[in-house]
Amino acid sequence: MAPSRRQQRPRTVGAAASPRRGRWTHPVVLFVAAGIAAITVLLIVLSWFSRQAATGEAILDSRSVTSVIAHSVAEPAIPPGLATGNAAAVDRFDRTTLNRLLVDQIVRIKIWNADGRIIYSDKVQLIGERFSLHEEELEILQHGGTAAEVSNLQAPENRFERGFGKLLEVYTQVRDPAGRPLLFEAYFPYSHVTQRSDEIASEFRPITVAGLLVFLILTTPLVWVLARRLDRSAADRERLLMAAVEASDVERRRISRDLHDGVVQELAAVSFTLSATGRQIHDQPVISSSLDESGAAVRRSLRALRSLLVEIYPPDLRRQGLAAALEDLLAPASNAGVEVDLDVSDTSVVSPECTALVWRAAQEGVRNAVRHGRPSRIFVQVTTSGDDVRLVVRDDGQGFDPAAEPPYGHLGLRSLRDLVEETGGSLEVTSAPNRGTTLEVRLACR
Amino acid sequence: MNTHHNIVRRTAATASLLLAVGAVSTFPAAAQGGGGGIQHRGSCSHSSDWKLSAKGDDGRIEVEGEVDSNVSGQTWTWRILHNGSTSAHGTATTGGASGSFTVRRLLVNTAGVDSIGWRATNAASGETCVGGLRF
Repeated sequence: MAPSRRQQRPRTVGAAASPRRGRWTHPVVLFVAAGIAAITVLLIVLSWFSRQAATGEAILDSRSVTSVIAHSVAEPAIPPGLATGNAAAVDRFDRTTLNRLLVDQIVRIKIWNADGRIIYSDKVQLIGERFSLHEEELEILQHGGTAAEVSNLQAPENRFERGFGKLLEVYTQVRDPAGRPLLFEAYFPYSHVTQRSDEIASEFRPITVAGLLVFLILTTPLVWVLARRLDRSAADRERLLMAAVEASDVERRRISRDLHDGVVQELAAVSFTLSATGRQIHDQPVISSSLDESGAAVRRSLRALRSLLVEIYPPDLRRQGLAAALEDLLAPASNAGVEVDLDVSDTSVVSPECTALVWRAAQEGVRNAVRHGRPSRIFVQVTTSGDDVRLVVRDDGQGFDPAAEPPYGHLGLRSLRDLVEETGGSLEVTSAPNRGTTLEVRLACR
Repeated sequence: MNTHHNIVRRTAATASLLLAVGAVSTFPAAAQGGGGGIQHRGSCSHSSDWKLSAKGDDGRIEVEGEVDSNVSGQTWTWRILHNGSTSAHGTATTGGASGSFTVRRLLVNTAGVDSIGWRATNAASGETCVGGLRF
């Protein structure tokens, strides 16, 4: 006769057949969010670099403007005598060039001779004053070229420019009619550089943004397809796992039924027969004793076989209850001299699927503890909190090194982990050599 | 001692006055124009009159030279001198009922006192007008 317990199939906990995934943890959403974040960071970095490049470009523009004005406006108009401070020459230069020099946001012009004397400036109070030229300015004055730098407004020669705010001064070499080198200096508001820099950078920004967005738009469908493929693959894997578990259950059920209906019944009959026969031939004490011992041996084998039946075929958890089933599970260990401690809170509200998975996990934990740990004590605890169920199987056995390669045959724990994680739960094994082992399973049983 | 000091002061004042008069003799009639400007006027070598005025303008000196001959249509060459050098020159023709011409130019106001000269010559008659001021 088949066992009366009904098999509890450890199906996926809850309604979802695939791993539970929130709307915001969908791979495509994550990819798009990561893409947008990456684009934002990239834009900030690119913006900084492009701003640097644009600033350099804007300064180059100012240098070009200065060079053009110096060589096409100022130099041809320099009259003889300007370099020596002739007042009439200064007048003529001022009248003929002033309006053509203060263009393109130039706010100040200064022309220096090699002695460091300002021989002309639109700020005429500076004309005739003498200051020391810096090394770079002397280099330009003597050997030509163009250079630019932010003005030092604290310098006395720049005292009239303080009201303009930050300035960029650009200087280049010009020559008077006698061929004497002079230093032509033009001052630009730095805001002009910043503005020009913005203009240049803004020309490239849309191209950069559009390029990155197009990349994101093009790759998103690919990620979506890949995510779908992964989902299907995960679902297939889960189905295969469930099929394997189910096949295993069917096989266990068949073996259990065969053993129960066949061998167990036969052994029980043999045991009764031996005992009855032994009692009937009390006039032959040797044979009677031998038959009694044989009957006892058969009964021991029968108990062992029943324990094995419990192990290979799960009990009817719905009818029997999880606590009683766990007691049965621990009974062989208790019989073997292991001190067992079971603590199960009320699991009546936990779904049958979830209860089956808890039992299966406990079975794996207890089995491993007995087989590999050689413990003196096993503690099993099941607690519930709302939808969450927590199972702890702890032993004080010899433990193992979790970092080491698991020994061959530890597929049960691996399969259990897969099963638990497929349902959105977690499984953790904590152990250390000679420090026992703790198996902790958390399930969200909706 | 006080009397001696007063005599010295009076002598110095008189000498200064004479120097000033000497200077003005070159610039026959001087007057302070409005807005801080200076105006000098005088007679040319024949019957014409000249006028030279100067006033400050943002670090520069706005100089205005004028010749009034009462004859319209005369051609004059003119020259503005700045610290002894020719800052501007040109040709002008008298016009209007007054028979005059006026020239305006901006000069750079250099450090210290600026000497400004005005010279005009009638190309036909050779009449010359010469004036000046210090600014």
